[in-house]
Amino acid sequence: MSDSLHDVVVIGGGMSGLTASIYLAGKGFKTALISRGDPVCCLSTGCIDVMAAGEGPLEAIADLPGGHPYRLVGRKGIEDALKLFKDTMAGSPVPYVGTPRRNREILTPIGTFKTTCLVPRTMEASQGCRDDYLHVISFSGIRDFYPSYITSKLPNTGFSLYDAGVSSTLAIATRFEEPGFVDDFCSWLSGIEIPPGRVALPAVLGLRKPVALMEDISGRIGRDVFEIPTLPPSIPGLRLFQALKGSFQEKGGYVFWGKAISSVEIRGNMVEAVTLAASGRPSRVQGRAFILATGSFVSGGLFATRDAVKETVFDLNVEIPGPRNDWFWNDFFTPGHPIEGSGIEVDSSFRPLGSGLENLFVCGSILARSDIMKNHCGHGLALATGLKAAKMCERMLT
Amino acid sequence: MSIKTDVIIIGGGATGCGIARDLALRGVPHYLVEKGDFASGATGACHGLLHSGGRYVVKDSESARECISENAILRRIARKCVETTGGLFIRLPGDSKRYRDEFLASCDEIGIETEVLSPSKALDLVPGLNPALEEAISVPDCSIDPFRLCMLNAYTSRHRGGGILTHHEVVEIIQEKGQCVGIKARERLTSQIKEIRGRVIINAAGAWGDKIARLGGTSVPMSLSKGSLIVTNHRLTNMVINRLRPPSDGDIIVPNEAVCLAGTTSIPVSDPDMLEIDPAEVDIVATQAEQMVPGFGSTRLIRAYTGVRPLLMAPVQNGDGRSISRGFQIIEHGNGMFSILGGKLTTYRLMAEKTVDVVMTHFGLKAACRTAELPLEGQDELSGYPLSKRLSSMDDIVCECELVTRQSVEHAVNAMATQYVGDIQHRTRLGMGPCQGGFCTYRALGIMQELGRVSPEVSISVLKEFLQRRFKGIRPALWGDQLREEQLIESLYLGILNMGSKP
Repeated sequence: MSDSLHDVVVIGGGMSGLTASIYLAGKGFKTALISRGDPVCCLSTGCIDVMAAGEGPLEAIADLPGGHPYRLVGRKGIEDALKLFKDTMAGSPVPYVGTPRRNREILTPIGTFKTTCLVPRTMEASQGCRDDYLHVISFSGIRDFYPSYITSKLPNTGFSLYDAGVSSTLAIATRFEEPGFVDDFCSWLSGIEIPPGRVALPAVLGLRKPVALMEDISGRIGRDVFEIPTLPPSIPGLRLFQALKGSFQEKGGYVFWGKAISSVEIRGNMVEAVTLAASGRPSRVQGRAFILATGSFVSGGLFATRDAVKETVFDLNVEIPGPRNDWFWNDFFTPGHPIEGSGIEVDSSFRPLGSGLENLFVCGSILARSDIMKNHCGHGLALATGLKAAKMCERMLT
Repeated sequence: MSIKTDVIIIGGGATGCGIARDLALRGVPHYLVEKGDFASGATGACHGLLHSGGRYVVKDSESARECISENAILRRIARKCVETTGGLFIRLPGDSKRYRDEFLASCDEIGIETEVLSPSKALDLVPGLNPALEEAISVPDCSIDPFRLCMLNAYTSRHRGGGILTHHEVVEIIQEKGQCVGIKARERLTSQIKEIRGRVIINAAGAWGDKIARLGGTSVPMSLSKGSLIVTNHRLTNMVINRLRPPSDGDIIVPNEAVCLAGTTSIPVSDPDMLEIDPAEVDIVATQAEQMVPGFGSTRLIRAYTGVRPLLMAPVQNGDGRSISRGFQIIEHGNGMFSILGGKLTTYRLMAEKTVDVVMTHFGLKAACRTAELPLEGQDELSGYPLSKRLSSMDDIVCECELVTRQSVEHAVNAMATQYVGDIQHRTRLGMGPCQGGFCTYRALGIMQELGRVSPEVSISVLKEFLQRRFKGIRPALWGDQLREEQLIESLYLGILNMGSKP
């Protein structure tokens, strides 16, 4: 068995775990990040939703119930986390725009608008697009994007199809990174009669330098161009994840990727180590402090049995909203099914309540009462609680 | 402007489609009207079992006789719909030995072939069985695809001049001088009304039979009982497994295509349009199924569904729908309407034959029934999408769970000119797998838009309706990996696409 010792071991490579890891590695702590696989942010729009209600997301936080994780972080903490995020992304191929003082809107693939807060530069021109003529460019045979959903819903729109020779978003994104493809694409695009206005396309502008590509296209056709997020696999989600993971590794962080935890060692009120399952050679990862950022059900941090919900690494107590019949509303479209409120309760230092463990901190969507779908606060909550848990951890270690 | 025909059939379940085929083969002009797609009532919501008769043999020998005779006929005429799995009745510790003796004696008497198997022989056949079983008795139970069965019966009708209108709800039965002379039917999406005039109306509306009879100024005595079932994400047995005891909750598991169905419950209901599945029903069925096949306890359930047994009202009721006869009855209302009531999927052909016999007598016509001797037409054409065929082209998969390609979706859309995504799902198996259409329905509707079959405005409302219906089936069985999948689907539609209602 291989054995390693770290200051902090972060369990979970999603938005909250990455945020905590980046902060701690930046502060010089020897940080290990364990992840079972690529996180669910790869399936997201790539935008940072903070709170959908109200004009400014920070004001809306005051209306949340007292136990909501945002209330434990506080307004300043949220602003700090969003700033850390923007600064981190500023050095990546996809800088983000927007301010926590004011929400913005992006166009969805079915022609609705979605409120969000920070967006990748490639979606900046989505804001206000309903005031202009909008021309949607799609690709022949693309499986996860159908422009007619948009053009039927919004007046003053039209669409054209380009044949990229492939049909998945990921394959088209790869085509955009091949030499000559953009030239062909742009010469085709310049040849279409399009009324004055903006041009949008599904989010397929490659993984490596999407902003440069967008500016190139925009410059050649003399119009604002923006991306529309697609259903998974999501290219903006992948870019976001790769940028954050890259930033952590640049800061000297160590990653254990594709590894599941098979056992944990606890002595007294301290977590001492976790063991990672691997065929042949398991690894034991010791830490002075641990951060649990394994996410909710989709990520596998929580698992529901027929009548209970389990936390999958430490078997911590999980709050649930009553018997199974109460977990979901009868109406699918009513946001905030009660099961979303289930999770781990923490104290003001983000340690799990009732566990007695002193060196374990919890962040992200595994936290109880987060009600992410109801509030549209997923990534924002991950950033805010990730940073907060990291700071609590820092305080303990210094 | 109205359509004119001889016989109007109301109901596109197995009985209605069977009647259409029978009439077509006897050369009688007819029109079938169905408010949903084929098999959208009890036919499509049953466990897809082609009964050997074993289930009824002790208490209802008449039904058992009909079953074993129709079982043999359907295995012959509907080869592509029937999987000859064979079935076992298993006796677990504590199950009555006296019932077992009665069971064997009754099977002998009626002519249901049985073989008593030792536990080791039974485990050899179905390794997933509870190893504590005392013994098993084999019977010729089979698995049958009710949807394809309806399609094939309708195929004969269609190719011999019969008319078929699906997604048309009968809203009025036209009466003149006390006689039913026609119907008005409303198209579901467009609300357009079509009028059909006929000499005779056959009410084959199953659980909706009384509602239809009342439109015709009469009524039928029915007793509705809902039965709920659960679906696993793969096959845990290749044979039908029954519990060897008097009929009770959760006593059967049926393999069907790539999955297993387990059922059922039996709860009286008053309105076939108001059905809910209680999570407790799911727990009962899952727990009982687990006793027969222990793997059931840890297997992922992909959804639950419920159907209404359209049973005849028995003179004395004890509240349990199972003790009411599964026999059927044809009621001649004397006003041009005939109702066919009761029965079960296995005996649909016989029910159709007897009904058409009555209509022929009414018309004073003579032509013998041929539905038992002729194989169903169109079986090769409509044999579904066998895995081997699905795997031959992996380029453009629209539904990853069931490996349905864009080409087969386009083919189905074009062949049917349909606006209903459910029609595509029934015919291609799109959306039938573990994610239950969570990813592919949006795509299928997009493809239908591209082909000009559905307007994008309509497709959003179809998508919403689909998501709600899907959720209704999934909700009672949400835990484990299925809950996980559900949260992901929720994040797509309520998150990325922002389709949630405002709080």
